[in-house]
Amino acid sequence: MSETMHADYLASIETIADRYGRNPDFLIPMMQDVQTAFGYLPRDALEGLADLLGIPPSQCFSVATFYKSFSLVPRGRHTITVCLGTVCYLKGGREIAETIERELEVKAGGTSRDGLFTYEPVNCLGACALAPVVVVDSEYYDHVKLRDLPRILKKYREADRKGQ
Amino acid sequence: MGETVTLTIDGRETQAKVGETLLQVARRMGAAIPTLCYHPAVSPYGACRLCLVEVKVRGRTRLVTSCCYPIREGLEAFTQSDRVLKARRGVMRLLLARAPESPELRKLAESMGITDPQLPSVTKGKRDCILCGLCVSVCNEVMGAAAISFSYRGVERVVTAPFEQSSPACLACGACAAVCPVGSVVLEYDGETVTVEPFGNRRPALRCRECGALIGGKGMGERVAQQLSGRLTQAVDLCAECKRKISAQAICQAGTAVVAWPALPEGVTER
Repeated sequence: MSETMHADYLASIETIADRYGRNPDFLIPMMQDVQTAFGYLPRDALEGLADLLGIPPSQCFSVATFYKSFSLVPRGRHTITVCLGTVCYLKGGREIAETIERELEVKAGGTSRDGLFTYEPVNCLGACALAPVVVVDSEYYDHVKLRDLPRILKKYREADRKGQ
Repeated sequence: MGETVTLTIDGRETQAKVGETLLQVARRMGAAIPTLCYHPAVSPYGACRLCLVEVKVRGRTRLVTSCCYPIREGLEAFTQSDRVLKARRGVMRLLLARAPESPELRKLAESMGITDPQLPSVTKGKRDCILCGLCVSVCNEVMGAAAISFSYRGVERVVTAPFEQSSPACLACGACAAVCPVGSVVLEYDGETVTVEPFGNRRPALRCRECGALIGGKGMGERVAQQLSGRLTQAVDLCAECKRKISAQAICQAGTAVVAWPALPEGVTER
């Protein structure tokens, strides 16, 4: 980690910690903000945060590994969630999941090589009436068929290309 | 505090102070209650579930962990009922499945009448850990180092150093190894370094200045020296045996147990 990068880290972590009055009771929301800022929880950021709050880094690590929504490794710019609950599974969720794994060359929890997508299967989204469900970031795709997938992926790939 | 209540344990009435736990009172009365995650030096955690007892609440009985059950007026508890003994044996079987290789655990299991332990294989990372949390509590509450913590969740739950890499906060004091009820935490010495396994905390080792025996980590010596005052700090880098020897020599020579430790360094005063 270079010096300048470290200074950047510290500045943004200080801003986040100050938002909550540096009160360790708000560790989880602070960590959520850190994850929003960096896309994941970098080790330096967590150690810096622990230092600012006067809590041991082991506590941050404990919380970061306990909750599934926290990630200690860099994540893709988009998160694809495929529901594998009973109904979605029966209505083709498994095939959708397999296709995504093959198409993006990822396994559950993995990130595609281009850094665009992180793929996460989920056990139920509670939207069984829409089965099978695929969620990208916070956008829901209902009654997804295998032939819909290329269109969905393309949408984010193109948006990304335009954004760059 | 200081208020006294009357309760009944195994049919015998007794008095206890509000704030005490059922385990403390029952043990004081001589009840045999096995525990693994209980240690008087740290706050009760209720993780191992071995200290189960039956309590009667409004005519119904239920099983509770006695180590963290606060007593109250009129409480009725049974520490050796059939239901309790059966439940404890069930718990012990589950613990054995996690730590089948621990001699300490197998001995305790035998004393509880379990002689048919099934021995599944366990992964090295989780070997013989029953997740009682004693090492975590002692590191955090007693040593103030918090070099280890519970990490991950559910079946993946495990005690690790932060980021699963050697923690600079670790004093290599060995408190975690000392309290571990199943002997899964150990200090491994390699030359002048000591590694606290299975956490992988590698620290410089501390040697007894008299006999050269390895007695934990340098960090521990420094921490103890910080917290003690005056001449006591001069005994920090001595092993227990050499400490006894020096005290004994002092008694023989001067007729007093007060050891004439070397003079204090310049500027250090005795508190």
